[in-house]
Amino acid sequence: MTRVIIIDDEEDICVVLKEVLERAGFEVEVASNGSDGMDLLRKQHADLVITDIIMPGKDGVETTYDIRMEFPNTKIIVISGGGNVSPMEYEPTAIKTTAYLASATKAGADLTLTKPFDRDEIVNAARRLTAH
Amino acid sequence: MIFALLLVHAVLLPALFHGLFTIVRNGHEEAFIDHTRIYTRVFADIFETSIVQETEAEIVAHLDSAVLGGRSIYATLQVADSLLISSLMESEDADKFTEDFAFGEHGDNVYFLSVPLEMAATVAVLKLGFDEEPTLLQIGDARQTLIYILLMYLLVSLALVVLLSTVLARPLKRLRRDSRKIASGDYTRKLSIESGFHEIKELSDDLETMRSTLVGVNARLQKEIVEREAAVAKQQDLEESLRHSQRLKSIGTLAGGVAHEFNNVLLPILMYAELSLEDLPADSSVRSKLEQILKLAKRAQGLSQQILTFGRQPGDTAKVPLDIVPVVEEAMSMVRALIPASIDIRVDVEKGIGHVLCDAAEIQQLVVNLCSNAYKSQRSGGGLISVSVAKTNVDRKFTEKHPKLRQGKHVLLKVTDTGEGMDSATIDRIFEPFFTTREVGKGTGLGLSVVHGIVVKHGGEIVVTSEPNRGATFDVYFPLTEMQALPDIEETKK
Repeated sequence: MTRVIIIDDEEDICVVLKEVLERAGFEVEVASNGSDGMDLLRKQHADLVITDIIMPGKDGVETTYDIRMEFPNTKIIVISGGGNVSPMEYEPTAIKTTAYLASATKAGADLTLTKPFDRDEIVNAARRLTAH
Repeated sequence: MIFALLLVHAVLLPALFHGLFTIVRNGHEEAFIDHTRIYTRVFADIFETSIVQETEAEIVAHLDSAVLGGRSIYATLQVADSLLISSLMESEDADKFTEDFAFGEHGDNVYFLSVPLEMAATVAVLKLGFDEEPTLLQIGDARQTLIYILLMYLLVSLALVVLLSTVLARPLKRLRRDSRKIASGDYTRKLSIESGFHEIKELSDDLETMRSTLVGVNARLQKEIVEREAAVAKQQDLEESLRHSQRLKSIGTLAGGVAHEFNNVLLPILMYAELSLEDLPADSSVRSKLEQILKLAKRAQGLSQQILTFGRQPGDTAKVPLDIVPVVEEAMSMVRALIPASIDIRVDVEKGIGHVLCDAAEIQQLVVNLCSNAYKSQRSGGGLISVSVAKTNVDRKFTEKHPKLRQGKHVLLKVTDTGEGMDSATIDRIFEPFFTTREVGKGTGLGLSVVHGIVVKHGGEIVVTSEPNRGATFDVYFPLTEMQALPDIEETKK
């Protein structure tokens, strides 16, 4: 079975994505930050990692970079809440997401998606990347 | 000046007169006295040598000759106790004799002299009286002449003063009049005084140099003031523009942040709704309610997307060089489908104006949003919306007012409506998200915010011109790029 790890600090998103992907036939595990996600990945290989970009601690870009270094065959989808959020003006953890997405792509993400996306969008993307 | 001269003369002339007259009078008197002494001496010599041998008659004849000589009017000779008197004078006149020691003494107009004759045996005294009157007359004449001369001098000097004051004062007066005019602000008046006095001419020239320097300095100052005012105005424009874009940017940032959080909430709502729908039996009564939730969540998704478009920054997504004209034309066909036929739509595009680095879908959205806004501003069912695309040159003056633009060739997309227009306070806030002048529910207040986001993203500028009840014009400037359009991927494949 194709294994997917979802990393997002928003628990609601983890839960709903988990259910959506499980219904699509994936085996799903969730982590609430980059480091936990890496630990899960090291314990058991995953075919696909779906990671949020803005997270406390290790963020999406760093996580993507680390995964790409350690597990070159794992596919990565980076998702974001969209918007240009400057740390000075809005909140400390949020950064200019679009630029962030671009740097995620540079770090080795196979795909970037902006929230909110359709159920079909994420399922199709996951299927396409993992040939599931 | 004349008064000063008169005053000086009033003091000087009497003194001068007195001095000169004293000299003249003394001269005359001395000459008279010298003459009488010599005359008396001569006669005394004659008597000294002859008196011993002569008779009384002969002596009297001598005395007569002394009188007849015209110099003396009295002639007596005292020999011992006898007094011989010239026969030409009255005998009682001999009593008048009072010896004078100075001219004009005793007020008798006669100058009396007595000389003792030196003779061995006898004592004799020659007494002569000289008429002072001719000398007094001469002195009087001299006085008269002196008075005439001094009067003459006074007149001549007065005339000279008048002349001088005319020659000197007139140009000075003119100079003064001209300087006053200059002082009162007429700097253009040239100071040029002609005068025989080179001092005045030089003064005039110096003043003229001063004036022209002042005029130069003044002109420079004026220029500086104008420049400074322009700079201040420019500064204010820039500040205003900066403030405006800062405000829009911070609103964008805030809205973006809200949208970001919002999306994190929307995503589970959307997906749970979908999952729930999947789980429900086809005939469940909850289905329609869930479908409603899904529909509303999708609408929220659309709104969130628009907010994010507003908040975007230049360079956020990939743009390609495109001829904007077909893009606008395609958008206009959409607009025609959306807007009732009662609205007259005119499109005027200039072909082959070059390429703009842009995102076609966003340009279309911009056109649709602007037209939609124009349509919504029409009060009655009718009205006119004109859309034009043309090439334009943005000059320095324009970039000073709109610092986001650079000088050079631009595309100008103009959307004009005949709608209700707006005041400047509205124009100022028109691009803020959720700012709307329309009734609640008739507009989200996001359409123009999205337009603004797209314009900013394309490195362009949007200028709104409007007045209440006068319609509105939205001028959108996009910089033209030298880059050529990419070959159409579909066509390449074929």
